[in-house]
Amino acid sequence: MNPRALIAEDEPVLAAVLARTLQGLWPGLEIAAIAPNGTAAVEQALALRPDMLFLDIRMPGQTGLEAAEELLERWDGPAPFPQIVFVTAYDDYAVQAFDTAALDYVLKPVSEARLARTVERLRARLAGVAAGAPGNGAGPGGNGGNGGDGGLARLVEQMRALLPAPAPAPAGQLSVIRAAVGNTVRMIPVEDVVFFQALDKYVNVATAEGDALIRLALRELLPQLDGARFCQVSRGSIVNMRHVASASRDDTGKLTLALRGRSERLRVSPLFAHLFRQM
Amino acid sequence: MTALTHSLPRCTPGDRRLRRFLDDLGMSIILSAWAAVLITLATGNPAELYQQLVYSACIGVTAVVIIDGVRLGLLGDPARRAHRPVAILALAVLTAPVAHYCGLVIGGAILGQGSPSLSGYPTRPQLHMILFTLIAIGAMFLIIMNRERMQRIEAEHGEARTRAEAVERQAVQAQLRLLQAQIEPHMLFNTLANLQGLIAIDPARAGRMLDQLIQYLRATLGATRAENTLLADEFGAIDAYLGLMAVRMGERLSYRCVLPDALRTARLPAMLLQPLVENAIIHGLEPKIDGGAITIEARAHGGALEILVSDSGLGLDDTRASQGGGVGIATTRERLRALYGERASLTLSPGHQHGAVARLVLPLEQA
Repeated sequence: MNPRALIAEDEPVLAAVLARTLQGLWPGLEIAAIAPNGTAAVEQALALRPDMLFLDIRMPGQTGLEAAEELLERWDGPAPFPQIVFVTAYDDYAVQAFDTAALDYVLKPVSEARLARTVERLRARLAGVAAGAPGNGAGPGGNGGNGGDGGLARLVEQMRALLPAPAPAPAGQLSVIRAAVGNTVRMIPVEDVVFFQALDKYVNVATAEGDALIRLALRELLPQLDGARFCQVSRGSIVNMRHVASASRDDTGKLTLALRGRSERLRVSPLFAHLFRQM
Repeated sequence: MTALTHSLPRCTPGDRRLRRFLDDLGMSIILSAWAAVLITLATGNPAELYQQLVYSACIGVTAVVIIDGVRLGLLGDPARRAHRPVAILALAVLTAPVAHYCGLVIGGAILGQGSPSLSGYPTRPQLHMILFTLIAIGAMFLIIMNRERMQRIEAEHGEARTRAEAVERQAVQAQLRLLQAQIEPHMLFNTLANLQGLIAIDPARAGRMLDQLIQYLRATLGATRAENTLLADEFGAIDAYLGLMAVRMGERLSYRCVLPDALRTARLPAMLLQPLVENAIIHGLEPKIDGGAITIEARAHGGALEILVSDSGLGLDDTRASQGGGVGIATTRERLRALYGERASLTLSPGHQHGAVARLVLPLEQA
């Protein structure tokens, strides 16, 4: 079967040119789809399961990095996680960060020579995946052997390097969460919180006694919490480590957490799976 | 600043000298009163205080009339150039006997006591009084000249300060203009990437895009030198910028520029409008998944030029609204304040149904 690529690029001319140049350099390559924004890219990637993704960084809706992060969390099934190449226009910050994290990226305007090198690398990696080369790590769910590729562990490592370290809270750490429940405000000591989960513009505060909502973004909340006790485990959740009973892989290979005092299980993004490795 | 100098009545040199003379007159009356008290205390006759006051005032006023008459009339304005102390001293020596005699004559007339004849005047006690008058006049002019010196220094400082402020204001203006004329590298490289792409897939369109890029660069880079521009040129530059963005954003962007013919030659500061349009694209339309439309419309409104930049983008989120619209808007406001004071304004408000409207009002000046 021909290798298939998905291009996520909001500027139609650039998308057309990238598709054309890629096909010129790699005659067997099939362009499975061109997604006009990050959100569409995630959905189409999940539907089409391409072998590689070219993700523009600056896109409306979701950036290329956010799309990759979401895809890491949601990717499942037998298809190996796609190779990811980021595409970015001149931008000091991003380029520096990519270099530091050793991510695959190409600069816009895309030079054909640079793209040719990228194509070579992609072909070699895809050949390795197809042959089930030894040393291949896990798929996003860690279900090794099942078409996983060595690139994924590397990608997880690289993406983690890009994650911004939470800035120290200017106002100090929270000791009590004030959450509205109906017309009363519940005072919840942070140590009683089992986990926080992002819900649109709110954050759900889950305790053994029940749920409560606070109107705050998860990324604003994170720096106000004690980093030794509370850890981010996916894009949308922060867990209290003292309430985690165990971590295990489910049938699809996803890492999930069993919690004390709560019946549901919490999913862990591959980006944070290292927190639950055995000692 | 200009408005301020126009609203104040202009001071002619004559007015200034009259004011100075009146100041000196006031000073002479105060000093005369002190002299009268001093003499009364010396003679030990309190009943004479009133007489002494009248005579002293007459002598003092006469002395000031003579000395200021010569000084301000012949030697020029002391606010500009200091009078030589020797000249004033010589003048005081000459004036003392004359002022003393005239003062006695005038004072005598006021009090009904008659006046001394000129031949019987120079007696020994009178000579003492002339000497005392000389000392009093000398002291008075020492004070006056010192005050004038202080005023001169202050005026020089004021001028230096005004000059420094003018230089600083010009520098700030240039800096703000430069700030607004900056081309974001990201924008430039993205545009070049599109241009490069079009050369391969649609050369004719690439040619048109290159024309627009040239026009955009000329307007933006030229603005760092020019202080103001014609509205038609500014609209041309905006049309070029939106043309570039339309290639990049494809169907996600539609735009419309409305410029009545009568306003084509209106003058406005360079690079004032473009940041508002770029703001609407960068914050309103580019990050919106479905994109939208932008309209730039100029109209005359009384004696004012009103320009509306309306977009159907994401609108003003809480942070943007609370910051008054961000750095670009703040810089534009600063420029407007420096250029027009209260006569110009820039407001940013939510659009009718969605998006945002930037409303710029400034005095209408035709070229």
